[in-house]
Amino acid sequence: MDSDIILVIVVAAALVFDFTNGFHDTANAVASSISTRALAPRTAVTLAAILNFVGAFISIQVAATVAGGIVDAHLINTTVVFAGLIGAISWNLATWYYGLPSSSSHALIGGVVGAAFAAGGADAVITDGLLAKVIVPAVVAPIVAFAAAGAAILITYRMVGRLRPGPVNRGYRLGQIASASLLSLSHGTNDAQKTMGIIALALIAHGNLAPGDPPPTWVIVSAATAIALGTYSGGWRIIRTMGSRIFKMDPAQGFTAQTGGAAVLLTAAHLGFPLSTTHSITGAVLGAGAAKRLSAVRWGLAGNIVAAWILTLPAAAAVGALTYGLSRLFGNGALGPLLIAISLLGLVAAIFGQRLRRGPALTTSPADT
Amino acid sequence: MIAAINTDALLQLVWAAPLAVLAVTVSWGLVVNGVTRAAEARRDGRAGVAGAYAALAVAGGALFTAAVVFGLLVMISKD
Repeated sequence: MDSDIILVIVVAAALVFDFTNGFHDTANAVASSISTRALAPRTAVTLAAILNFVGAFISIQVAATVAGGIVDAHLINTTVVFAGLIGAISWNLATWYYGLPSSSSHALIGGVVGAAFAAGGADAVITDGLLAKVIVPAVVAPIVAFAAAGAAILITYRMVGRLRPGPVNRGYRLGQIASASLLSLSHGTNDAQKTMGIIALALIAHGNLAPGDPPPTWVIVSAATAIALGTYSGGWRIIRTMGSRIFKMDPAQGFTAQTGGAAVLLTAAHLGFPLSTTHSITGAVLGAGAAKRLSAVRWGLAGNIVAAWILTLPAAAAVGALTYGLSRLFGNGALGPLLIAISLLGLVAAIFGQRLRRGPALTTSPADT
Repeated sequence: MIAAINTDALLQLVWAAPLAVLAVTVSWGLVVNGVTRAAEARRDGRAGVAGAYAALAVAGGALFTAAVVFGLLVMISKD
Protein backbone atom coordinates (compact mmCIF):
# COMPACT_ATOMS: atom_id res chain seq x y z
CA MET A 1 0.00 0.00 0.00
CA ASP A 2 2.80 2.40 1.01
CA SER A 3 4.73 1.71 -2.18
CA ASP A 4 1.57 2.37 -4.24
CA ILE A 5 1.18 5.77 -2.60
CA ILE A 6 4.88 6.61 -3.15
CA LEU A 7 4.53 5.59 -6.81
CA VAL A 8 1.55 7.91 -7.27
CA ILE A 9 3.43 10.77 -5.53
CA VAL A 10 6.55 10.25 -7.70
CA VAL A 11 4.48 10.17 -10.91
CA ALA A 12 2.62 13.34 -9.85
CA ALA A 13 5.89 15.08 -8.89
CA ALA A 14 7.46 14.04 -12.22
CA LEU A 15 4.54 15.55 -14.14
CA VAL A 16 4.72 18.75 -12.05
CA PHE A 17 8.46 18.94 -12.84
CA ASP A 18 7.64 18.39 -16.53
CA PHE A 19 5.12 21.26 -16.37
CA THR A 20 7.66 23.61 -14.73
CA ASN A 21 10.24 22.48 -17.29
CA GLY A 22 7.82 23.52 -20.05
CA PHE A 23 7.03 27.00 -18.78
CA HIS A 24 10.59 27.60 -17.58
CA ASP A 25 12.11 26.74 -20.96
CA THR A 26 9.46 28.30 -23.24
CA ALA A 27 11.69 31.36 -23.42
CA ASN A 28 14.49 29.41 -25.09
CA ALA A 29 12.38 28.83 -28.18
CA VAL A 30 10.12 31.85 -28.40
CA ALA A 31 11.62 34.87 -26.57
CA SER A 32 13.52 36.17 -29.60
CA SER A 33 10.53 35.66 -31.93
CA ILE A 34 8.23 37.57 -29.55
CA SER A 35 10.76 40.34 -28.99
CA THR A 36 11.24 41.00 -32.72
CA ARG A 37 7.49 40.59 -33.38
CA ALA A 38 8.08 37.62 -35.68
CA LEU A 39 5.22 35.98 -33.76
CA ALA A 40 2.52 37.33 -31.46
CA PRO A 41 3.12 36.17 -27.85
CA ARG A 42 0.11 33.84 -27.64
CA THR A 43 0.77 32.44 -31.15
CA ALA A 44 4.41 31.82 -30.22
CA VAL A 45 3.64 29.85 -27.05
CA THR A 46 0.83 27.92 -28.80
CA LEU A 47 3.21 26.91 -31.61
CA ALA A 48 5.90 25.98 -29.06
CA ALA A 49 3.40 23.96 -27.00
CA ILE A 50 2.16 21.99 -30.03
CA LEU A 51 5.72 21.25 -31.18
CA ASN A 52 6.81 20.29 -27.65
CA PHE A 53 3.90 17.83 -27.59
CA VAL A 54 4.81 16.41 -31.01
CA GLY A 55 8.53 16.32 -30.06
CA ALA A 56 7.77 14.10 -27.09
CA PHE A 57 6.64 11.36 -29.47
CA ILE A 58 9.66 11.58 -31.81
CA SER A 59 12.03 9.74 -29.50
CA ILE A 60 11.15 7.53 -26.53
CA GLN A 61 14.63 6.33 -25.73
CA VAL A 62 14.36 6.29 -21.98
CA ALA A 63 17.34 4.00 -21.40
CA ALA A 64 19.41 6.93 -20.16
CA THR A 65 17.84 7.27 -16.74
CA VAL A 66 18.00 10.27 -14.44
CA ALA A 67 21.55 11.22 -13.49
CA GLY A 68 22.89 8.00 -15.08
CA GLY A 69 26.67 7.81 -14.63
CA ILE A 70 26.55 10.67 -12.12
CA VAL A 71 25.24 8.91 -9.02
CA ASP A 72 25.55 5.30 -7.86
CA ALA A 73 22.67 3.53 -9.66
CA HIS A 74 22.11 1.15 -6.71
CA LEU A 75 21.03 4.06 -4.53
CA ILE A 76 18.33 5.30 -6.89
CA ASN A 77 14.95 4.42 -5.44
CA THR A 78 11.58 6.16 -5.50
CA THR A 79 12.33 8.30 -2.41
CA VAL A 80 15.63 9.54 -3.91
CA VAL A 81 13.86 10.34 -7.21
CA PHE A 82 11.05 12.11 -5.33
CA ALA A 83 13.55 14.20 -3.34
CA GLY A 84 15.47 15.00 -6.55
CA LEU A 85 12.28 16.12 -8.25
CA ILE A 86 11.40 18.42 -5.34
CA GLY A 87 14.91 19.95 -5.55
CA ALA A 88 14.49 20.54 -9.31
CA ILE A 89 10.93 21.92 -9.04
CA SER A 90 11.99 24.31 -6.24
CA TRP A 91 14.92 25.65 -8.26
CA ASN A 92 12.80 26.00 -11.42
CA LEU A 93 10.18 27.99 -9.50
CA ALA A 94 12.78 30.19 -7.79
CA THR A 95 14.64 31.08 -11.00
CA TRP A 96 11.34 31.62 -12.86
CA TYR A 97 10.18 33.98 -10.09
CA TYR A 98 13.32 36.09 -10.61
CA GLY A 99 13.07 35.77 -14.41
CA LEU A 100 16.40 33.97 -14.75
CA PRO A 101 16.90 31.32 -17.46
CA SER A 102 18.57 28.22 -15.97
CA SER A 103 18.87 24.59 -16.97
CA SER A 104 15.97 22.36 -15.83
CA SER A 105 18.08 19.27 -16.59
CA HIS A 106 20.90 20.47 -14.36
CA ALA A 107 18.35 21.24 -11.64
CA LEU A 108 17.03 17.68 -11.88
CA ILE A 109 20.53 16.20 -11.81
CA GLY A 110 21.41 18.46 -8.87
CA GLY A 111 18.31 17.35 -6.96
CA VAL A 112 19.05 13.67 -7.51
CA VAL A 113 22.75 14.14 -6.64
CA GLY A 114 21.79 15.84 -3.36
CA ALA A 115 19.26 13.14 -2.46
CA ALA A 116 21.73 10.36 -3.35
CA PHE A 117 24.41 12.12 -1.25
CA ALA A 118 22.02 12.20 1.70
CA ALA A 119 21.17 8.53 1.15
CA GLY A 120 24.65 7.10 0.59
CA GLY A 121 27.26 9.71 1.50
CA ALA A 122 29.99 11.16 -0.72
CA ASP A 123 30.67 7.79 -2.40
CA ALA A 124 27.19 7.95 -3.96
CA VAL A 125 28.30 10.74 -6.29
CA ILE A 126 30.49 9.86 -9.30
CA THR A 127 32.61 12.99 -9.64
CA ASP A 128 34.04 12.00 -13.06
CA GLY A 129 30.49 11.71 -14.41
CA LEU A 130 29.48 15.01 -12.83
CA LEU A 131 32.46 16.75 -14.42
CA ALA A 132 32.03 15.18 -17.85
CA LYS A 133 28.24 15.33 -18.12
CA VAL A 134 27.37 18.52 -16.26
CA ILE A 135 30.24 20.89 -15.48
CA VAL A 136 32.23 20.77 -18.74
CA PRO A 137 29.11 21.05 -20.98
CA ALA A 138 27.87 23.94 -18.80
CA VAL A 139 31.08 25.84 -19.48
CA VAL A 140 31.41 24.88 -23.16
CA ALA A 141 27.82 25.52 -24.32
CA PRO A 142 27.55 29.27 -23.67
CA ILE A 143 31.10 30.01 -24.85
CA VAL A 144 30.72 28.15 -28.17
CA ALA A 145 27.24 29.59 -28.76
CA PHE A 146 28.42 33.11 -27.84
CA ALA A 147 31.35 32.99 -30.26
CA ALA A 148 29.37 31.34 -33.07
CA ALA A 149 26.39 33.70 -32.85
CA GLY A 150 28.72 36.70 -32.57
CA ALA A 151 30.57 35.74 -35.75
CA ALA A 152 27.30 34.89 -37.51
CA ILE A 153 25.65 38.25 -36.80
CA LEU A 154 28.73 40.14 -38.10
CA ILE A 155 28.61 38.13 -41.36
CA THR A 156 24.83 38.63 -41.55
CA TYR A 157 25.22 42.41 -41.28
CA ARG A 158 27.87 42.29 -44.04
CA MET A 159 25.43 40.38 -46.26
CA VAL A 160 22.28 42.42 -45.73
CA GLY A 161 23.40 45.61 -43.99
CA ARG A 162 23.07 47.83 -47.07
CA LEU A 163 19.65 46.58 -48.14
CA ARG A 164 16.34 48.25 -47.35
CA PRO A 165 15.45 47.34 -43.74
CA GLY A 166 11.75 46.57 -44.43
CA PRO A 167 12.15 43.43 -46.58
CA VAL A 168 15.24 42.34 -44.62
CA ASN A 169 13.37 42.46 -41.30
CA ARG A 170 10.43 40.59 -42.83
CA GLY A 171 12.81 37.92 -44.15
CA TYR A 172 14.47 37.39 -40.77
CA ARG A 173 11.14 37.32 -38.95
CA LEU A 174 10.07 34.52 -41.32
CA GLY A 175 13.33 32.66 -40.63
CA GLN A 176 12.71 32.99 -36.90
CA ILE A 177 9.47 31.03 -37.22
CA ALA A 178 11.45 28.11 -38.67
CA SER A 179 14.18 28.29 -36.01
CA ALA A 180 11.68 28.65 -33.13
CA SER A 181 9.79 25.60 -34.45
CA LEU A 182 12.99 23.54 -34.65
CA LEU A 183 13.97 24.53 -31.11
CA SER A 184 10.53 23.70 -29.70
CA LEU A 185 10.54 20.30 -31.38
CA SER A 186 14.04 19.61 -30.07
CA HIS A 187 13.01 20.67 -26.56
CA GLY A 188 10.00 18.35 -26.57
CA THR A 189 12.18 15.46 -27.73
CA ASN A 190 14.83 16.02 -25.06
CA ASP A 191 12.96 17.12 -21.99
CA ALA A 192 9.70 15.14 -22.09
CA GLN A 193 11.95 12.10 -22.45
CA LYS A 194 13.48 12.83 -19.04
CA THR A 195 10.07 12.75 -17.37
CA MET A 196 9.24 9.52 -19.20
CA GLY A 197 12.54 8.15 -17.84
CA ILE A 198 11.68 9.14 -14.26
CA ILE A 199 8.19 7.61 -14.41
CA ALA A 200 9.54 4.46 -16.10
CA LEU A 201 12.17 4.20 -13.34
CA ALA A 202 9.47 4.44 -10.66
CA LEU A 203 7.36 1.80 -12.46
CA ILE A 204 10.36 -0.53 -12.71
CA ALA A 205 11.15 -0.07 -9.00
CA HIS A 206 7.51 -0.82 -8.19
CA GLY A 207 7.43 -3.90 -10.42
CA ASN A 208 4.94 -2.56 -12.96
CA LEU A 209 7.47 -2.43 -15.80
CA ALA A 210 10.30 -4.76 -16.77
CA PRO A 211 13.74 -3.16 -17.16
CA GLY A 212 14.39 -2.40 -20.85
CA ASP A 213 10.71 -2.34 -21.79
CA PRO A 214 9.39 0.77 -23.55
CA PRO A 215 7.28 3.08 -21.37
CA PRO A 216 3.50 2.54 -21.50
CA THR A 217 1.46 4.82 -23.75
CA TRP A 218 -0.09 6.68 -20.79
CA VAL A 219 3.42 7.66 -19.64
CA ILE A 220 4.32 9.09 -23.07
CA VAL A 221 1.00 10.92 -23.47
CA SER A 222 1.01 12.35 -19.93
CA ALA A 223 4.65 13.53 -20.20
CA ALA A 224 3.94 15.13 -23.60
CA THR A 225 0.78 16.78 -22.27
CA ALA A 226 2.46 18.14 -19.11
CA ILE A 227 5.36 19.74 -20.99
CA ALA A 228 3.00 21.15 -23.64
CA LEU A 229 0.66 22.64 -21.01
CA GLY A 230 3.64 24.13 -19.18
CA THR A 231 4.95 25.62 -22.41
CA TYR A 232 1.50 27.01 -23.30
CA SER A 233 1.15 28.68 -19.90
CA GLY A 234 4.29 30.65 -20.85
CA GLY A 235 7.04 31.66 -18.45
CA TRP A 236 6.63 35.33 -19.33
CA ARG A 237 9.17 36.58 -16.81
CA ILE A 238 11.99 34.58 -18.43
CA ILE A 239 10.65 35.41 -21.90
CA ARG A 240 11.01 39.11 -21.05
CA THR A 241 14.56 38.58 -19.76
CA MET A 242 15.68 36.61 -22.83
CA GLY A 243 13.75 38.65 -25.37
CA SER A 244 14.25 42.24 -24.31
CA ARG A 245 15.96 42.73 -20.94
CA ILE A 246 19.41 41.40 -21.97
CA PHE A 247 19.34 43.75 -24.97
CA LYS A 248 16.79 45.04 -27.48
CA MET A 249 17.29 42.81 -30.50
CA ASP A 250 16.49 43.37 -34.16
CA PRO A 251 15.07 40.53 -36.32
CA ALA A 252 18.52 39.60 -37.75
CA GLN A 253 19.92 39.29 -34.22
CA GLY A 254 16.87 37.32 -33.10
CA PHE A 255 17.26 34.92 -36.03
CA THR A 256 21.01 34.55 -35.45
CA ALA A 257 20.56 33.94 -31.71
CA GLN A 258 17.84 31.31 -32.20
CA THR A 259 19.43 29.60 -35.18
CA GLY A 260 22.88 29.80 -33.60
CA GLY A 261 21.63 28.18 -30.40
CA ALA A 262 19.76 25.48 -32.33
CA ALA A 263 22.72 24.71 -34.62
CA VAL A 264 25.11 24.41 -31.65
CA LEU A 265 22.66 22.12 -29.81
CA LEU A 266 22.02 19.83 -32.75
CA THR A 267 25.69 19.67 -33.76
CA ALA A 268 26.55 18.73 -30.17
CA ALA A 269 23.79 16.07 -30.12
CA HIS A 270 25.11 14.69 -33.41
CA LEU A 271 28.63 14.43 -31.90
CA GLY A 272 27.31 12.69 -28.78
CA PHE A 273 28.11 15.67 -26.53
CA PRO A 274 24.71 16.86 -25.31
CA LEU A 275 24.49 20.47 -24.12
CA SER A 276 21.89 22.42 -22.15
CA THR A 277 19.31 24.21 -24.33
CA THR A 278 19.19 27.15 -21.91
CA HIS A 279 22.96 27.61 -21.81
CA SER A 280 23.29 27.40 -25.61
CA ILE A 281 20.45 29.82 -26.40
CA THR A 282 21.45 32.33 -23.71
CA GLY A 283 25.06 32.24 -24.92
CA ALA A 284 23.87 32.84 -28.49
CA VAL A 285 21.61 35.74 -27.41
CA LEU A 286 24.53 37.39 -25.59
CA GLY A 287 26.85 36.79 -28.58
CA ALA A 288 24.39 38.27 -31.09
CA GLY A 289 24.02 41.37 -28.89
CA ALA A 290 27.65 41.86 -27.91
CA ALA A 291 29.00 41.50 -31.48
CA LYS A 292 26.92 44.45 -32.69
CA ARG A 293 27.73 46.71 -29.75
CA LEU A 294 29.33 45.53 -26.52
CA SER A 295 27.58 48.19 -24.44
CA ALA A 296 24.15 47.15 -25.77
CA VAL A 297 24.18 44.10 -23.48
CA ARG A 298 23.19 44.49 -19.82
CA TRP A 299 26.20 42.72 -18.39
CA GLY A 300 24.88 42.99 -14.84
CA LEU A 301 21.87 40.90 -15.81
CA ALA A 302 24.12 38.50 -17.75
CA GLY A 303 26.18 38.13 -14.56
CA ASN A 304 23.03 37.27 -12.58
CA ILE A 305 22.16 34.60 -15.15
CA VAL A 306 25.64 33.05 -14.93
CA ALA A 307 25.41 33.15 -11.11
CA ALA A 308 22.09 31.26 -11.35
CA TRP A 309 23.78 28.65 -13.57
CA ILE A 310 26.59 28.20 -11.05
CA LEU A 311 24.11 27.90 -8.18
CA THR A 312 21.75 25.49 -10.00
CA LEU A 313 23.53 22.26 -9.05
CA PRO A 314 24.35 23.04 -5.38
CA ALA A 315 20.99 24.72 -4.67
CA ALA A 316 18.89 21.92 -6.18
CA ALA A 317 21.19 19.39 -4.46
CA ALA A 318 20.68 21.09 -1.08
CA VAL A 319 16.88 20.98 -1.45
CA GLY A 320 17.05 17.38 -2.71
CA ALA A 321 19.18 16.33 0.30
CA LEU A 322 16.92 18.19 2.73
CA THR A 323 13.80 16.61 1.21
CA TYR A 324 15.33 13.14 1.43
CA GLY A 325 16.33 13.74 5.06
CA LEU A 326 12.86 15.00 5.99
CA SER A 327 11.20 12.05 4.22
CA ARG A 328 13.33 9.58 6.15
CA LEU A 329 12.40 11.23 9.48
CA PHE A 330 9.00 9.61 8.98
CA GLY A 331 10.48 6.19 8.18
CA ASN A 332 10.62 4.29 4.89
CA GLY A 333 6.91 4.52 4.15
CA ALA A 334 4.77 6.96 2.22
CA LEU A 335 4.07 9.34 5.11
CA GLY A 336 7.22 11.47 4.62
CA PRO A 337 6.85 12.06 0.85
CA LEU A 338 3.08 12.57 1.32
CA LEU A 339 3.51 15.24 4.02
CA ILE A 340 6.25 17.01 2.03
CA ALA A 341 4.17 16.99 -1.16
CA ILE A 342 1.11 18.39 0.65
CA SER A 343 3.22 21.05 2.44
CA LEU A 344 4.86 22.16 -0.80
CA LEU A 345 1.54 22.31 -2.63
CA GLY A 346 0.17 24.51 0.16
CA LEU A 347 3.25 26.74 0.09
CA VAL A 348 3.17 27.19 -3.70
CA ALA A 349 -0.59 27.88 -3.62
CA ALA A 350 -0.09 30.49 -0.88
CA ILE A 351 2.73 32.24 -2.80
CA PHE A 352 0.74 32.25 -6.04
CA GLY A 353 -2.42 33.44 -4.30
CA GLN A 354 -0.58 36.28 -2.58
CA ARG A 355 1.21 37.31 -5.79
CA LEU A 356 -1.92 37.12 -7.96
CA ARG A 357 -3.77 39.40 -5.53
CA ARG A 358 -1.02 41.99 -6.12
CA GLY A 359 -1.28 42.00 -9.91
CA PRO A 360 -1.00 40.00 -13.12
CA ALA A 361 2.80 40.25 -13.56
CA LEU A 362 3.51 36.56 -13.03
CA THR A 363 1.12 34.89 -15.35
CA THR A 364 0.15 37.19 -18.20
CA SER A 365 1.75 37.59 -21.59
CA PRO A 366 3.26 40.92 -22.73
CA ALA A 367 0.32 41.29 -25.10
CA ASP A 368 -2.19 41.08 -22.26
CA THR A 369 -0.55 43.69 -20.04
CA MET B 1 39.21 12.68 -13.99
CA ILE B 2 40.04 14.27 -17.37
CA ALA B 3 39.74 10.83 -18.98
CA ALA B 4 35.99 10.89 -18.31
CA ILE B 5 35.56 13.83 -20.68
CA ASN B 6 34.99 12.98 -24.32
CA THR B 7 37.75 15.29 -25.53
CA ASP B 8 37.48 14.18 -29.18
CA ALA B 9 33.81 15.18 -29.31
CA LEU B 10 34.57 18.37 -27.39
CA LEU B 11 37.32 19.46 -29.80
CA GLN B 12 35.16 18.57 -32.80
CA LEU B 13 32.33 20.59 -31.30
CA VAL B 14 34.52 23.67 -30.95
CA TRP B 15 35.02 23.92 -34.72
CA ALA B 16 31.95 22.09 -36.07
CA ALA B 17 29.29 24.02 -34.11
CA PRO B 18 30.41 27.50 -35.22
CA LEU B 19 30.73 26.16 -38.78
CA ALA B 20 27.14 24.85 -38.63
CA VAL B 21 25.91 28.20 -37.25
CA LEU B 22 27.70 30.09 -40.03
CA ALA B 23 26.38 27.71 -42.71
CA VAL B 24 22.78 28.14 -41.56
CA THR B 25 22.93 31.92 -41.11
CA VAL B 26 24.77 32.46 -44.41
CA SER B 27 22.25 30.29 -46.28
CA TRP B 28 19.32 32.31 -44.88
CA GLY B 29 21.29 35.51 -45.56
CA LEU B 30 21.48 34.42 -49.21
CA VAL B 31 17.69 33.97 -49.25
CA VAL B 32 17.03 37.41 -47.75
CA ASN B 33 19.67 39.08 -49.92
CA GLY B 34 18.53 37.30 -53.10
CA VAL B 35 14.81 37.99 -52.61
CA THR B 36 15.34 41.65 -51.70
CA ARG B 37 17.73 42.39 -54.57
CA ALA B 38 15.63 40.41 -57.06
CA ALA B 39 12.60 42.54 -56.16
CA GLU B 40 14.64 45.74 -56.57
CA ALA B 41 16.04 44.60 -59.93
CA ARG B 42 12.57 43.62 -61.19
CA ARG B 43 11.26 47.06 -60.24
CA ASP B 44 14.15 48.65 -62.18
CA GLY B 45 13.35 46.48 -65.23
CA ARG B 46 16.57 44.44 -65.06
CA ALA B 47 15.09 41.00 -65.71
CA GLY B 48 18.45 39.18 -66.07
CA VAL B 49 19.82 40.50 -62.77
CA ALA B 50 16.49 39.75 -61.06
CA GLY B 51 16.70 36.14 -62.33
CA ALA B 52 20.26 35.76 -61.04
CA TYR B 53 19.32 37.03 -57.57
CA ALA B 54 16.23 34.80 -57.54
CA ALA B 55 18.49 31.83 -58.31
CA LEU B 56 20.75 32.87 -55.41
CA ALA B 57 17.72 32.97 -53.12
CA VAL B 58 16.64 29.49 -54.28
CA ALA B 59 20.15 28.12 -53.66
CA GLY B 60 20.20 29.67 -50.18
CA GLY B 61 16.72 28.27 -49.49
CA ALA B 62 17.82 24.79 -50.56
CA LEU B 63 20.84 24.97 -48.22
CA PHE B 64 18.71 26.21 -45.33
CA THR B 65 16.12 23.48 -45.93
CA ALA B 66 18.89 20.86 -46.00
CA ALA B 67 20.19 22.17 -42.65
CA VAL B 68 16.70 21.99 -41.10
CA VAL B 69 16.17 18.45 -42.44
CA PHE B 70 19.58 17.47 -41.04
CA GLY B 71 18.54 18.89 -37.67
CA LEU B 72 15.33 16.84 -37.76
CA LEU B 73 17.29 13.69 -38.62
CA VAL B 74 19.64 14.30 -35.68
CA MET B 75 16.60 14.61 -33.39
CA ILE B 76 15.01 11.42 -34.69
CA SER B 77 18.14 9.29 -34.74
CA LYS B 78 19.75 10.21 -31.41
CA ASP B 79 19.90 7.63 -28.63
